[in-house]
Amino acid sequence: MTMTRRQLVASIPAAALAAGLPRGAYAQDGRKVVTFWFGQANSDGQAALRSDLVEAFNASQDKYLLQLEVKGAAVNNLLKVALVAGNGPDIVQTAGPAYLTAIANAGQVLPLDDFAEKYKWKERFLAPLLNTSVYGGKLYALPRDYESMHLFYNKELFKQNGWKLPTNRKEMEEVADAALAKGIIPFGAGNADWKGVNEWLMTVFFNNVAGPDNVRKALAGELPWTAPPFVEAVELSKAWYNKGYFGKNYFSLTIEQSFLQVVNAKAAMAFSGTWSFGTKSYGMSKPDTVMDVAPTPTLGSAFSGSLVHLACGATLSIAKTSQNAEGAAAVFEFMLTRKFYEAMNRDWPGKWALPVKDLPPEMLSGIGYPLFEKTIANLHEAFSKGQYGFTTWTFWPGATNSYLIEGIEQVWLNKITPDAYLTRMQTLFSQEAKEGKVPPLPPRTA
Amino acid sequence: MWLFALPALLINICIILVPAVLTFTAAFFIWDGVGMPVWAGLANFQNMAADPVFWSALTNNFIWTAIFLTVPVCLALVMAAALLMAPKARIVVQSIIFLPRIIAVAVTGRIFQGMIFSPATGVVAWLNEHGFSISDPLADPDRSLYAVAAVDIWHWWGFLAVVFLAAMRQISVDQIEAARLDGAGFFALFRYVLLPGIRPTLTLMLILTVIWSFQVFEFIFIVTRGGPAYGSEVLATFAYRHAFFEGDVGQAAAAACVMSLFGLCATAVYLWLQITDDAQST
Repeated sequence: MTMTRRQLVASIPAAALAAGLPRGAYAQDGRKVVTFWFGQANSDGQAALRSDLVEAFNASQDKYLLQLEVKGAAVNNLLKVALVAGNGPDIVQTAGPAYLTAIANAGQVLPLDDFAEKYKWKERFLAPLLNTSVYGGKLYALPRDYESMHLFYNKELFKQNGWKLPTNRKEMEEVADAALAKGIIPFGAGNADWKGVNEWLMTVFFNNVAGPDNVRKALAGELPWTAPPFVEAVELSKAWYNKGYFGKNYFSLTIEQSFLQVVNAKAAMAFSGTWSFGTKSYGMSKPDTVMDVAPTPTLGSAFSGSLVHLACGATLSIAKTSQNAEGAAAVFEFMLTRKFYEAMNRDWPGKWALPVKDLPPEMLSGIGYPLFEKTIANLHEAFSKGQYGFTTWTFWPGATNSYLIEGIEQVWLNKITPDAYLTRMQTLFSQEAKEGKVPPLPPRTA
Repeated sequence: MWLFALPALLINICIILVPAVLTFTAAFFIWDGVGMPVWAGLANFQNMAADPVFWSALTNNFIWTAIFLTVPVCLALVMAAALLMAPKARIVVQSIIFLPRIIAVAVTGRIFQGMIFSPATGVVAWLNEHGFSISDPLADPDRSLYAVAAVDIWHWWGFLAVVFLAAMRQISVDQIEAARLDGAGFFALFRYVLLPGIRPTLTLMLILTVIWSFQVFEFIFIVTRGGPAYGSEVLATFAYRHAFFEGDVGQAAAAACVMSLFGLCATAVYLWLQITDDAQST
């Protein structure tokens, strides 16, 4: 059949309309499609996502077809707009509870309680992390991972210089001063490519100087951020910055460059997170003969010993408009299989450390990365016992957290005083607490 | 006539007028971008006025405008006049100075950040290794705005020179020759013949520079993200941070309204100049 020119012209708008319609919920082979948007992933991460998640899930059953799209750094913004427009993916991944709060409060994701009942998720996840996604008594997300700030250090450099792993502020400053005297940067740090590095450091200062109990009280609204423990924390961060503990080029170096300084013995230590294991370009290897890692030591008088910080790097929910909630839940259930845990943590360590309750040692040893296995085992034990501090990116509400990141630069560069910084933080926090924007707080045991 | 204008009109209504009206409306609401907006009256504007970062961002926009109304314009005018006098070099030089304009903004930003200013991998590092004590200007809150402006000027001035040269080439050759015969040197020719000859183009580019200076975003966001310590924050990065990091779309919309206000003022000046010119010519 041939078309007249008029028919052809008339068909253009119809074709354009059809192309703009949402894709069908069924794949060609009759399986129901589950869509999933992912944010940033390096090449190793993308390969792991394709093989260990997408291909493995699709091969494990014949009812659903998982389709993954890596959207890049702007995924949080895209996701919000798409959800409001009703065009979001079935699986909604956010960058943690602080991002989930607005989406859950707006009812853009489904309560997962029925699925949680069916698959016994509440019995299988660590309560402190699962509870960060409970709003109004309903569960809106599963935690994709747990993270914590740690002290990464060059053990070879420590050995050569006769330094011992610091266990308190005095020892830490002694090592830092000794490093400076030798022309070695005490802490490799740089935020040229990611300002969030500021909050990694402030998570350590707030928790390890002021103490996790005080931080929890402040987050619960029982203690103002202007209280003396927090002033001491901010003042210490400023003192360390001004003494050159973070090097001369904090604002010029990227995360990778600054971490490599530690690996290459130009810096002694780095405050970084467990995600560092999953980035090959940071220069750590398995087994590692140069680097070692430890929980961060106390930097004040509020507690003794060391501390890990409770963090959830990402949450997984199901969109309110999803036509395939069952399929999305099936993907979550697949993520809880031992095979997936081992494969994903072997290929992309730390990115998908699901906070499951049952984590037998042999499951970790299957990963084949001793330093990572040791870190995760310690983290799991501390989180299970309720012994943790609170990370800014998981528990601080959006505007307060944004100011925490931006404003601390003003303190370090002598533009404002620590008091002015904390006063502004308190103002923003009070407002957001009033608006119900503070993520749920898990209990803590000493 | 209306039917002829309809396609352009529809596009303008859909992609300019509707978002503009929505943005203006959002400025009067508290909205996190996903939930239900709540009427806030003038609260967003009041909060903005009480925020010292807003005022430093606005000041930075004025500094940026002043820089771009002078430095690249002067460079471009001198280069355009020189190229007018040297036709043989015109094609090669135009190609070279126009090149930065066709390089993607993100690439230019990263080149300057990593290969010029970086004290680890850039020219600054090399200079430090060879006895010059130079710090990264992007890491200094008092210099970061000027450093980013330098990057944008590198990207922009060649384009401006090409535009000015095109305008100068419209000036009658007889007029230029007559001025030369009367003994006018380069600067006299420039001042009394070339500048008046390209006045409409120059005015348009200056007005556009004012409008663009209040919308500047990409170079600053890519190179410094408004930092350090808000040192290079401008209204657009202020609005972006509020909308996408703080979940405060209403506040971001209020900042966008202020940006638009300056653009509107510049447009009004341009229209007034056009009307005045029309009145004088008739």
